[in-house]
Amino acid sequence: MKHTETELLELKKAISDMWRLVQSQLEKAKTSLLTGDEELARVVMSREKRVNAFELKIDSDCENYIALYSPVAIDLRFVLSVLKINKTLERIGDFADGIARFVLETDGHDQHLELLKELHIEDMFGCVIEMLEKDKLALEEENTALAGVVFTIDNKVDDCYSDAIQALAKHITAHPEDVLYSLNLVTLLRKIERIGDHCNNIMEELVFYLDAKVLKHQKTAQSKDTE
Amino acid sequence: MKLEAKNVNFFYGDFHALKDINMQIDSNSVTAFIGPSGCGKSTFLRLFNRMNDLIDDTHLEGECLVGDQNIYDKSVSVDELRTTVGMVFQKPNPFPKSIFENVAYGLRVNGVKDKKIITETVEKSLKQAALWEEVKDKLKKSAFELSGGQQQRLCIARALAISPSVLLMDEPASALDPISTSKIEELIFELKHNYTVVIVTHNMQQAARVSDKTGFFMLGELIEFNDTKKIFLNPDKEQTQNYITGRFG
Repeated sequence: MKHTETELLELKKAISDMWRLVQSQLEKAKTSLLTGDEELARVVMSREKRVNAFELKIDSDCENYIALYSPVAIDLRFVLSVLKINKTLERIGDFADGIARFVLETDGHDQHLELLKELHIEDMFGCVIEMLEKDKLALEEENTALAGVVFTIDNKVDDCYSDAIQALAKHITAHPEDVLYSLNLVTLLRKIERIGDHCNNIMEELVFYLDAKVLKHQKTAQSKDTE
Repeated sequence: MKLEAKNVNFFYGDFHALKDINMQIDSNSVTAFIGPSGCGKSTFLRLFNRMNDLIDDTHLEGECLVGDQNIYDKSVSVDELRTTVGMVFQKPNPFPKSIFENVAYGLRVNGVKDKKIITETVEKSLKQAALWEEVKDKLKKSAFELSGGQQQRLCIARALAISPSVLLMDEPASALDPISTSKIEELIFELKHNYTVVIVTHNMQQAARVSDKTGFFMLGELIEFNDTKKIFLNPDKEQTQNYITGRFG
C-alpha cells in the first residue's frame, strides 16, 4: 500500500474513533436522561473534552493531508467530507453534553421521568442513535444505499418532535405547576431533533464523498419550486 | 483558433503510438494533456505543428485541423503553419544571440526588415511574456546570461513575436524553480485571452491550476477529456482517478 493511502486510512480510523466516542456519549446521555442517573451525566460532561480534543486532532490531520498531498478527485472529496463530518460530530457531542447538563441542572428532573415516557422521548432518541449508526455503516462499507433509510428516519424524528410538543402543551395546560420544567424540556426536545438533522447532514457529506453528488439544500430548493 | 483531431492514429515504425484520438480544442482556452511517460501526450501535441515530420519512419492516419484546415494536407506549407502554431519546449533553448535578437529572429526569418516594426514587436512580445521589466536595460546582453526561468519566458516571447494563434507548450516549467514556474503559469493564464494554448505537463497541480480542459492519455489512448474541474473533482473514468490520485500501476 502506498503511503498516501496509509495516511487516508489513518484519517478514516481517526474519524471512526471520534464517531464511536460520540455514539457512546449519546447513548450515555440518553440513559442518564431517561433514568435520571446523575453519575452517568457527569461522565458525559467529563468526556466532552475528549470529543473537543478529537475534533482538533482530526482538523489538524486534514489540514496536513491537504497541504502535503494535494489530494484530488475521490481523495479530495474524502478529506473535505471528513472535515465537515468532524465538525458535525463535535456538535452532536455538544448536544450530548447539553442533555447531560439538563439532567444535572434542571430542578425536579427525577420527578418527571414518567412525563418523558409519555412524550416518547426514548423512541425519538432511539431514532437519532440509529441514524448515526447507519451513517457510520455507510462510511465503513463505502456504500450510500442507506441514505434513503437515514432520511426517512429523520422524517420520523421530526414527527416525534411535533407530537411531543403537542403533548407537552396539553401537559402544561393540565399541570401549570410544571411550566418551567416543560419549557426546559422544549429546549431538550429541540436538541434531539437537531441531532437528527446533523445525522442527515453527515449522510449528505458521505454521498458527496462516495457518489460525488451534492444533496445539500435540495429539499429547500424543491419545496421552493413547488411553492 | 480552434484545433481538432479526427480519428488520429500515429505510428513510430510498427509502434502504434496514438490510437484513434478524437478531440476538439476551443480557441482562446488552455488545454492540458496529462498522463504517464510514454502515453503519447507529447507526440499528440507535436502533431499540431508537424514536429513529428522530423522523425524518420513515422506515419499518421486521420486529420489534424488548425482552424478549418487539415494541416497534413499537401497544400499546407510547414513553415507557414509554424508561424500560426508556435511551440515552447521543456528546456529553454535560446539562440546564442542577444536577448533582442532572440525575439527578433522569427521576424527577420520571415522577411520583416523595418527596424521600427521589429523594435516594437520585440518590446510587445517581451511584455506579453512578462519579461520586459527584467530585461529592458540589457537587451544587447547574451540570452545565456538570463536565469532558466527568464530564458523560458524569452523563448515564449520569441514564439509570440511572429504572432501565432496557437501556442504549444511541452512541459514548459518542468526545469524551473517554483517562482519561475509561477510566473510561467501566470503568463499562460494571461495568454489565453489572445491565444489557444495547449500544454503537456507531468505536474497535475499545474494542469489543475492553469487549464480549462484536461485530457488524460494512457498507452496511446485518450482515456478522458473534460473540464479540468470535473477531471480533478470527479473524473468519469476509473483509470483517470487512479492516475491523478497516485494509485496508478
